[in-house]
Amino acid sequence: MNLIQSYKPETTYRPPIKSPHKPDGNFDVNQELLNHTFIRPLPAHGKLVKNGLFEIPSEFIKDVRYDYRALKHSIKGEANDHELGRLNDMGMKLGGLAIATYLFSRKSTPLTKIMEFVGLTSFFAAMDLWPKIALQLPAYLIHGFNIRQKYTDNYGRKKMVYLDHQFIPWDLYSDKEINKIGDRLHVPKDIPNRREFIQEKMRKIALQNNTMWMLTAGFATPIMSALICNALENPIRKIQDSRLNKKANNLLINFNEETQKINFKDNVNQLDEILTQNKGQTITPELFNRICKNMTQNLDPAIAQYFEADLKNLIPNIRNYNIRQETINHVHTKLMEHFSQSELPENVINEIIPDVQTLTQMLREKNGLSDNAQDVSEYSKYVQNFISERINKYIQENPNSITGKKLLFHFKKFIHSQSYAQSSGLNAAFKHKSAAVLTEPLTEEIKNISKVLNTFKAQVKVLDKYAFIKAAEAPETIHANIWNLDLCNDLLKVFNFTPEEIKRSRLEPEIAGKILREKMEDIVSDDTKYTKFLDTMNHKLSKMYNKMESIDLSATNNTNTYINCTNTSYDTAAESLRKLRMPQTADIIAGYQGTGAGEAGKFCVKYSQLGFMENSNTALKSSMYRLFNTMSVFRKISKLPQTGSDILDYQDGKPILRQVKEEMIEAIKELLISGHASDYANKLYVLRSLDVNPEDIVKDFNLKTPEEKERIMKELTEQIETQKGKVINKYLGTKNPAEMKELSNDYNFFKRIMKYIYEERIDEQTEEKCKNSVFWKDFTEYRKDALDVLGGDFNFAKPGFVVNNVVESTSERRFIRTGSALDEMFYKLTKQEFNNKYWLKKFGRFGIGLIAVTVIAQFFTGRMPKIHQQEGK
Amino acid sequence: MILPVSNLTKTEQIPFNSQNPREEKPSPYDKDTLLKNNFSNRMRIGIDKFAKAFTIYPARGMKGSTNSNFYEYLTMGSNVPSIIGSIILITIFNSYKNYAQSDKIGAAKIGNKMALGVIFYSLFKSLSKSLITYPVKMKTGIDTEIPYAKVNYQLQEKPGDYDLTSIEYHKIGESVDFTRWDLLYGDVNKNESPNFRYDKIAKKNGLGENLTDSDQEVKPIYKEVLVKSALAKSFASYMWAATGVALAFQDCWQDYFNVATLKIWKPREFFHSIKIFARSFVKSISSLYKGPETAASKFSKYSGKALIGVTILSTLAGMFNAMHITKKPSKITAKDVMNKNKESVVN
Repeated sequence: MNLIQSYKPETTYRPPIKSPHKPDGNFDVNQELLNHTFIRPLPAHGKLVKNGLFEIPSEFIKDVRYDYRALKHSIKGEANDHELGRLNDMGMKLGGLAIATYLFSRKSTPLTKIMEFVGLTSFFAAMDLWPKIALQLPAYLIHGFNIRQKYTDNYGRKKMVYLDHQFIPWDLYSDKEINKIGDRLHVPKDIPNRREFIQEKMRKIALQNNTMWMLTAGFATPIMSALICNALENPIRKIQDSRLNKKANNLLINFNEETQKINFKDNVNQLDEILTQNKGQTITPELFNRICKNMTQNLDPAIAQYFEADLKNLIPNIRNYNIRQETINHVHTKLMEHFSQSELPENVINEIIPDVQTLTQMLREKNGLSDNAQDVSEYSKYVQNFISERINKYIQENPNSITGKKLLFHFKKFIHSQSYAQSSGLNAAFKHKSAAVLTEPLTEEIKNISKVLNTFKAQVKVLDKYAFIKAAEAPETIHANIWNLDLCNDLLKVFNFTPEEIKRSRLEPEIAGKILREKMEDIVSDDTKYTKFLDTMNHKLSKMYNKMESIDLSATNNTNTYINCTNTSYDTAAESLRKLRMPQTADIIAGYQGTGAGEAGKFCVKYSQLGFMENSNTALKSSMYRLFNTMSVFRKISKLPQTGSDILDYQDGKPILRQVKEEMIEAIKELLISGHASDYANKLYVLRSLDVNPEDIVKDFNLKTPEEKERIMKELTEQIETQKGKVINKYLGTKNPAEMKELSNDYNFFKRIMKYIYEERIDEQTEEKCKNSVFWKDFTEYRKDALDVLGGDFNFAKPGFVVNNVVESTSERRFIRTGSALDEMFYKLTKQEFNNKYWLKKFGRFGIGLIAVTVIAQFFTGRMPKIHQQEGK
Repeated sequence: MILPVSNLTKTEQIPFNSQNPREEKPSPYDKDTLLKNNFSNRMRIGIDKFAKAFTIYPARGMKGSTNSNFYEYLTMGSNVPSIIGSIILITIFNSYKNYAQSDKIGAAKIGNKMALGVIFYSLFKSLSKSLITYPVKMKTGIDTEIPYAKVNYQLQEKPGDYDLTSIEYHKIGESVDFTRWDLLYGDVNKNESPNFRYDKIAKKNGLGENLTDSDQEVKPIYKEVLVKSALAKSFASYMWAATGVALAFQDCWQDYFNVATLKIWKPREFFHSIKIFARSFVKSISSLYKGPETAASKFSKYSGKALIGVTILSTLAGMFNAMHITKKPSKITAKDVMNKNKESVVN
């Protein structure tokens, strides 16, 4: 603030002179104005902001305070330009936060939700980081000064020194500092006005960098933000995974507390209200449905169905009827309604239909009225006969009248049921009022049942939540994360897929399968490569096994395992319900009484609850075991010429033709790579050569001498040859495909294929390497189970072809054991990899190019016109 | 302003480039001039700023010219990064050309929404400012967006530089610290009363008519409205931008994406796409308000309503705060303060 031109009042008073170098804390403008000797600009209190790490927290707090004050000022309409500028930035950040929060609410999985905020933060971070990385840092390294230096002015406002190059507060730099920068800028030391020359050069560099910032920010910020998000996704996924895992584990560790958290308060209150309102009332079908609906809410539909039946049995007289005045009135009304629709004369209807008194009188005399009538047909019969007589009488009296016939027709309609098991109109009218009454003991009983059910529903809810987090077929579950982060993350690297192969494989599974086969054959043929592969897979499978084990908390850590909690919850609920006279519900919850966990016990909801987790675990493991087993089989095939195989080489003690062996090996490889569960049943086609006997292959074979026959047979049954993991086929592929056929009666062909894949001893090196690993036992069980459920299916290959014995299983079980087809697995992996890499390659390159351009441009900034340089020299 | 002195007359100047110095473009303004805040002026100013932000200003800045000033820097800052950034954002989200066909479909769904979100962000942010400007103008008579042309005299960088004026477009209330009060005075040469603009505002705000110094009375009010409007615009416009993005993320836009075309030479398809756009826009508002039908949580169900609510609330709060003037001069006059009938002692 310049006070030189300020008004100077005339006075004779002379205040004591103060040193201008010692600013007074109690500065008084008037006093300064009166001081004739020292009318001069006030000393500047601006200072450069230090950029040290330790200053960041204090600077941040200062900024927050400043923004808060700015907000207060602007609400009152007293803010200045700088404060309004800061508030605009705040508005932008709040708007961004609003976007992220809305998108967060629309995303369904935790990671995608978090990524919305990561995206927002990374965007603002990129806005801030880009000029620092691409401009400030290179400029500092090249020119020796910070082009984004900040300072605080007299009023504590934080600004950038070089924001406006026409108003740079140079006085903030001492001569020493400027000269030091000048040295870095290679400004000669002996020039006149050196400081001004250096300042001009600095000004130019800063202006050029500011312009570059404006020109590049639009390119850099979105790309940098996207790259940051991309880089952070997996680390966040890992953190999220561990957090989710802990959350799920806590559900079981604190199972009782978690269960108690879920209350069905509204539900309970609603039931109480229904029961209180209808106390002592007849239980009409509507009331029954209301009670039933309330109690079965959130319950498995299968359980709900049996519960309804049990509840009906529980209520006394629910199937009996109340035949009193109210019902008789209702019957009369229904009769009148029915006949009034028939367009018959009113007087005739009144003549035929007895009035309420007559009806009551008649029924009382005939059968007696009842509160608890089991059968309404007797009552209905009396009314029917009574009306029938009146109609007959009318017809007799009016033989030529059509009204009589009409009366008879409509009456028959009312007393006959429209369809099977449906009550006639008259019967239905008598069934108007149930004999069941909502008594006090019944109310209590219903409440007790509801209590048991609510506890059970809460327990199931916690179990479901746990099962979903751990094993649901959904993104970001523990299963999905194991698959994505631990198992498949580097599979393409393990199989040495090149970028070109990835590009081709992502197009369709068939191409992926072919490339994968080449890769596998290459690895198994090379000892070093195969050893490396085994090391990787050994580690992966061990990790997978351990993680899958931990999905059901091990009993050593805690007794609240998923299995235990499920068993306890279901069994306890079933037991309680059985005691409360709900046997069918108990059976469907935990199995028929006494059957335990046997086969019959599986027909219950508890089995589904347990099976969900088990199936999910098995499916994931099967896919990885399939990959491992395939490699092992490929390895065995590559070593076949040296090791031989009982299964492939001999049948009933006789050597198998090489031609058949070649066909079998091809089928084995194809099945392993692209076989689906359905391919093992009925559809298992293999086109083969029709020449299956030596006589078919060698002309006049039977006319040959025994020596010749022996030589020929030796030749025909020779061992296959392999090279670089591939079979060198002598026969396969030599025939025209049109001459080949499906030999569907060759039972042994399919049997041997399956036995070679799943039963024959695993490759020696593989076994040696992995037999002590944690997963080994599980892996061998997988092989056995796969052979049993796939080869033991009645429809395996062709109807009636069974490898060993028929094994009862389901299509779901076979599907789970088959695992993912390898060609499809690699098709998906390569597709994902290609999409990610394509994006990264495109924008990563662009980002690097942009940084390179801005850095190189630094070398061309600050160039002074010749005239200045000469002046300088 | 002291202009550079040349010892050559204009006709004697030796041209060193192909440009004929005699063909100087006449400057549209010879001094700082207040402009009308109408659509044509706003468009003209917008286009001028946009064109220069991508051409002259960066060229001058990259050269390190002493004439590159803060206005140019700000003009670049408000145009270049946002426009390039928007294009790059749209490109990033729509970079799926080489994806497999099945992936393209999924990527396109998100990409299109993102692109629309970027466009809506800018549109809503920019248009929503009128929701503050116009009601405030109607209530207080203060137009916070009045533009003016500033004639800027530059320094001579080369001996041949003689065209040293440049026109900048600012707003009267662009700075609350250095508001251009001088331009709001009437031109007596045009028979305008010097204070006629201030008089109008004073009258509108109940300060009275025929005031001797309406300008002095109005300036604090004017400044207050400027500050409060700026605050309201800062918050409300970004909230509207967020609402724009949220609207773009509604699934109903798929109907539009299926038929979207900019081929104006195919009028039938073009107008059909415009019709579907309008329909989708209306649907998107309803969808944002109602929330997803199968919302997993209450938060998910009501987040759209909350966003709309906060946006409208922030706009209304900002608007009413801007209309609520607290800096009106006191109506108490000296005669009210001094009661002549009462005895008083003067020290």
